[in-house]
Amino acid sequence: MDNYIIEMLNITKVFPGIIANDNITIQLKKGEIHALLGENGAGKSTLMSVLFGMYKPEAGIIKKNGEVVEINDPNDATALGIGMVHQHFKLVEVFTVLDNIILGAETTNKLGFLKKKEAREKVERLSKEYNLQVDLDAKVQDISVGMQQRVEILKMLYRDNEVLIFDEPTAVLTPQEIEELLLIMKNMAKSGKSILFITHKLNEIKAVSDRCSVLRKGKYIGTVNTSDTTIEELSEMMVGRKVDFNVFKKPSEPKEEILRVENISLKSKIKKGNVVNNVSFNVRRGEIVCVAGIEGNGQTDLVYGITGLEKITSGNIFLKGKNITHASIKERNTNGFSHIPEDRHKYGLILDFTLENNMVLQRYEEPMFQNHGFIKPKAVREYSDKLIEEYDVRSGQGSVTIVRSMSGGNQQKAIIAREMDKDHDLLIAVQPTRGLDVGAIETIHKRIVKERDEGKAVLLISLELDEVMSLSDRILVMYEGEIVGEFDPKTTTVQELGLYMAGAKRMEGGSK
Amino acid sequence: MAFFIQQTLVFMIPLMIVALAGTFSERSGVINLALEGIMIFGAFIGVLFIKIISDAGLGQDHAQLLLIIGILAAMIGGGIFSLLLAVSAINLKADQTIGGTALNLLAPALVMFLIIIITGSNTINTPASLDFMLYRGDFGIAEGKELNLFEQIFMNKVYLSNWYALGLYVILSVILYFTKFGLRLRSCGEHPQAADSVGINVNKMRYIGVTISGTLAGLGGFLFALTAAGGASTGDVAGMGFLALAVMIFGNWNPLTIAGAAFVFGACKCIASGYQYIDINGDGIYALANLGISKYVYMILPYAITLIILAFTSKNSHAPKAEGQPFDHGQR
Amino acid sequence: MTFIFLFLILAVIIGGFSVYAILTTKKAKANGYETWLMKFYAKDSVKTIISSVTAILLGLLVGCLFLIMFVGSEMSGRSISGFDLIDALQLIFFGGFNTGRNEFGSLIYGWNGVSLGNMLFRATPLILTGLSVGVAYKTGLFNIGAPGQYLMGTAAALIVSLTIPSDVIPPFIIWIIAFLSAIIAGALWASIVGLFKAFLNVNEVITCIMTNWIAAILVTSLFDKTTGPFNFLLDPSGDKNYKFVYKTAHNGVETIKLGLDKLFPGSQINAGIIVAILIAILMFIIINKTTFGYSLKSCGSNKHAAQYAGINSKLYITLSMAIAGGLAAAGAALYYLSGNTEFTWSTYQSLPAIGFNGIPVALLASCNPIGIIFSASFMAYLDISGLQIRNMTMYNEYISSIVSALIVYFSAFALIFKQILSGKIKLFRKKKEDISNAVDTRFKEEDYNVDKKEETDSKEVETTEEGGTE
Repeated sequence: MDNYIIEMLNITKVFPGIIANDNITIQLKKGEIHALLGENGAGKSTLMSVLFGMYKPEAGIIKKNGEVVEINDPNDATALGIGMVHQHFKLVEVFTVLDNIILGAETTNKLGFLKKKEAREKVERLSKEYNLQVDLDAKVQDISVGMQQRVEILKMLYRDNEVLIFDEPTAVLTPQEIEELLLIMKNMAKSGKSILFITHKLNEIKAVSDRCSVLRKGKYIGTVNTSDTTIEELSEMMVGRKVDFNVFKKPSEPKEEILRVENISLKSKIKKGNVVNNVSFNVRRGEIVCVAGIEGNGQTDLVYGITGLEKITSGNIFLKGKNITHASIKERNTNGFSHIPEDRHKYGLILDFTLENNMVLQRYEEPMFQNHGFIKPKAVREYSDKLIEEYDVRSGQGSVTIVRSMSGGNQQKAIIAREMDKDHDLLIAVQPTRGLDVGAIETIHKRIVKERDEGKAVLLISLELDEVMSLSDRILVMYEGEIVGEFDPKTTTVQELGLYMAGAKRMEGGSK
Repeated sequence: MAFFIQQTLVFMIPLMIVALAGTFSERSGVINLALEGIMIFGAFIGVLFIKIISDAGLGQDHAQLLLIIGILAAMIGGGIFSLLLAVSAINLKADQTIGGTALNLLAPALVMFLIIIITGSNTINTPASLDFMLYRGDFGIAEGKELNLFEQIFMNKVYLSNWYALGLYVILSVILYFTKFGLRLRSCGEHPQAADSVGINVNKMRYIGVTISGTLAGLGGFLFALTAAGGASTGDVAGMGFLALAVMIFGNWNPLTIAGAAFVFGACKCIASGYQYIDINGDGIYALANLGISKYVYMILPYAITLIILAFTSKNSHAPKAEGQPFDHGQR
Repeated sequence: MTFIFLFLILAVIIGGFSVYAILTTKKAKANGYETWLMKFYAKDSVKTIISSVTAILLGLLVGCLFLIMFVGSEMSGRSISGFDLIDALQLIFFGGFNTGRNEFGSLIYGWNGVSLGNMLFRATPLILTGLSVGVAYKTGLFNIGAPGQYLMGTAAALIVSLTIPSDVIPPFIIWIIAFLSAIIAGALWASIVGLFKAFLNVNEVITCIMTNWIAAILVTSLFDKTTGPFNFLLDPSGDKNYKFVYKTAHNGVETIKLGLDKLFPGSQINAGIIVAILIAILMFIIINKTTFGYSLKSCGSNKHAAQYAGINSKLYITLSMAIAGGLAAAGAALYYLSGNTEFTWSTYQSLPAIGFNGIPVALLASCNPIGIIFSASFMAYLDISGLQIRNMTMYNEYISSIVSALIVYFSAFALIFKQILSGKIKLFRKKKEDISNAVDTRFKEEDYNVDKKEETDSKEVETTEEGGTE
């Protein structure tokens, strides 16, 4: 019999209306790196939350070292030596790094006062041992995403965990940082830790894992030895069909300039200095310009500045040659902007409104939908029904569905329908495929290419380098609020982009 | 001067302690709009207990002991009353603003209902024969001795209850920042999912936060009844609970700045109520009264100053991020 | 006896209806069609009403328990008897229809024009303060500043209606001018709160609290006996310490009665109630049918999305507070311009309760303007019942305040009630069945998980951006 440290046998976890995990069995050997592969929504995170005691499964047992154990909450998991780096970091932003590491596992004196000195020594020792550099007295809100991840890893090590779960740890890192992390993981496995590595990126699995289990739509598909399989086989197991990740598109034929941004800067709200610093570029009709970069390097703020959600502190913005630096959001909307926002729940939709009311979010004041200030409910309904039909937005009750009750993919489709149907010259799409499954991603990519072919200008902001490489006609890399390089996707590599994204290299003069 | 400081403290201490009450609740993640109601209830319970015990003929000679009993009763009463908020906010995930408003409506109604049934009139009083105030003689200071500033403020015509409250304020502030419990409580108000992921029982911490909040607000209400209302409970604390809420926001949910905010407010309030009697430099000239400014200007002062300061400081205001959001264990 | 009889009839009707509902629904479900009742029940508004009614019933029930708890307790020498309890239990429901006692000492019921008319008169300002809170709430603002706005409205209405000479300008015109100036005063006062919120992001709760007290002190100073600029409006015949401002009838200004006083003889009722109802309907139309209302609601539901859509949220936050203030002040104007109400304000220790009572009125109606008409009337009815309880029994009128507070408390659970009603929360969970149901639906909602993840995700973003919210 194999020497399994953790076994999850026949786990079933049900949420109202859906089975997230359907009779899943995963076995983790001591000292191995075991990858858990699946699309968004396949049930990987749910399964790991079950192991970590955050959900209680309806059926199935968990064994540690061959003995059945009960894990009712994260305390039980910690006691069993199981630790987890969550996909969305579980860090208290206003606390210091040290406070975050000790939270929940504090050492105190008899009166309950914290003994931070001892804790500090232990953390410093661990960070040296595993080469995880952090500033213990900085507040989490002030440190980079990469460092936040190191804090999460230190949290596990501080608790002396021997089973480490990494939930999509590479999503927020540069290619170089990813390599570094994979190295750290290998080191940890060497020193006897067992690692469960959740991801949907196949090359990472090939690079680091010993074995790989695949989930699809809540079901267990199989476990393979990584060295015996190919990336194509893994992708077919994950999606259930052959997938072509390359987007087919004609070479671009850029025409006249639609958007020109000249030396714009935005002040940071959290830190001193600028979050967007002296950025200039343009976007022309019939091309897709993509801004690449690691999360938090000013891309979000750049879009806020261009769309008018935030005031820019200096610089000028031109739309079709007209200076719109001081134009209101409404003016920008009516003069040719369409904007698929990064955060669909915060900006894109009013979740408690019906679908039809969301469909006319920017347009209800147009004569088409109102008469002397009174909304024309019939016109709104007809228009919404038309978009639903055209863009295949699925919802419980059609136009009158409350948007909150819709699935994420369909919410995104609704936004895309609204923005693409609107009269526009420029489409700004920020991470339009985030969190969606492969099918939805394919559709959205096709739509964006179609936009370009119809002669619109497209500005795409994406964190996924694969998406950047396959969709764009021109790539701008952003680092710490500045554009540090401009590339042609046909002549550059992911590795090269990574160096610029991490700030290791920069082109003199930035962009044109 | 001494009079001025003493009077300021009379306003300041209840405000501080109730603002701290709000802080404990909100730092754990529950908006406590019910401070006013809890104060009213606490004041009533405290006065009621003192009345019952002294009516039974006990404790007439031990006013200071009765005072402590009254304080404890008020705190326990406030704590129990606040559980109504905890149940609705934590277990039933109800809108915390509405829950708090309901308690603010319930407390005066309930208290008045009971007061009328108990006394047949609109107030309930601590027996007039009991004097909780301590004078110089009680501290062994001989009659006729010139009092220094410290003695004037702390050892003559004082209520010990205020000093108890001040002590409690310091202790709880230290607990909030330097203990395991405090760290955990604050994490629940900032990022409950993070707290949950490291095995902290968020709902339990929130219950504790709200209950501490209730006991402190109950105490604050009792202090108000004892000092400002002369030992009477009338189903009203003159909006002190709401003011404390303002002081809490104004003080940025932080005990130190809350103390500062409470001082500013207390001092203004003190000037407003006693500007005719304030002799700033002890030369027998009542400068403020001689300015000839309408008394209403002084009355408006504390509120207007708070508004103005808020206008300038609002950008730096940091409410606990997760306050008002019910925590669902099942949610990621 | 009438009382028991009424109760029996009610019980039979409700019981019969439930049996009918259960039977038809079962049959319909088995055969796969929908009855009118099921369609009716599926409506969101119906569920809202049902959950409000549930809150009311629970509040009344717990209120009754309170009454029962205090049977036998002594009150100034006399103890509360079982008869008091029986009477009080009746009055808490039917107090407005009580017409006294018969020769045997038991309560009799009928058309009580005084009580019911006064109820509507009391409901008039409540509808408007309720609307004030409700409209602000729709825009995401918690307006506890209604008391201050109410006071500013009172002062404006009284000053204008008493200083314009009625021998020059007809009283009816004065009434309109006074009414409008009250609205303007309230709107201006409340827009302070709106401006602070919109441009400085100062929490509206705290500015409301501050402006309430400032308003109270200002109004006190206006009518100060010796120094107030409007002390000539004080009625010299009144009490030495508590001087009242003249009733507006002193200057001939009175709200017209429209014959309502014939329907409710002896009561204070006037056409103000009709004005209030019309304003409520107007607000309903504005909020639900116009682009203006759409903008207001967008700002309230998701101010970020509103900004994204190009809606000027600063403008709408300020406007919505101004409207809220105008409504609260209109309530004050309708109350004091009736001609027969006295105003005194010689203290700065408390605030007018009518302002605060707008909050429960609005919450009970889920801030729906039409619902507010009914919830305000209901709250006023409870008040009248309370007065009857005080007059007819050994209990006191505060029981009705307890009941209304409890109703607000329970209406906070409206969301839970609604979820239970729509079957999202099952009181009795059957595990196995759930699993098999889930299998059926899972492929319809493939990306359910994504959604869930996204939702918490954006919540996190949301909370990092928010400043102080109360």
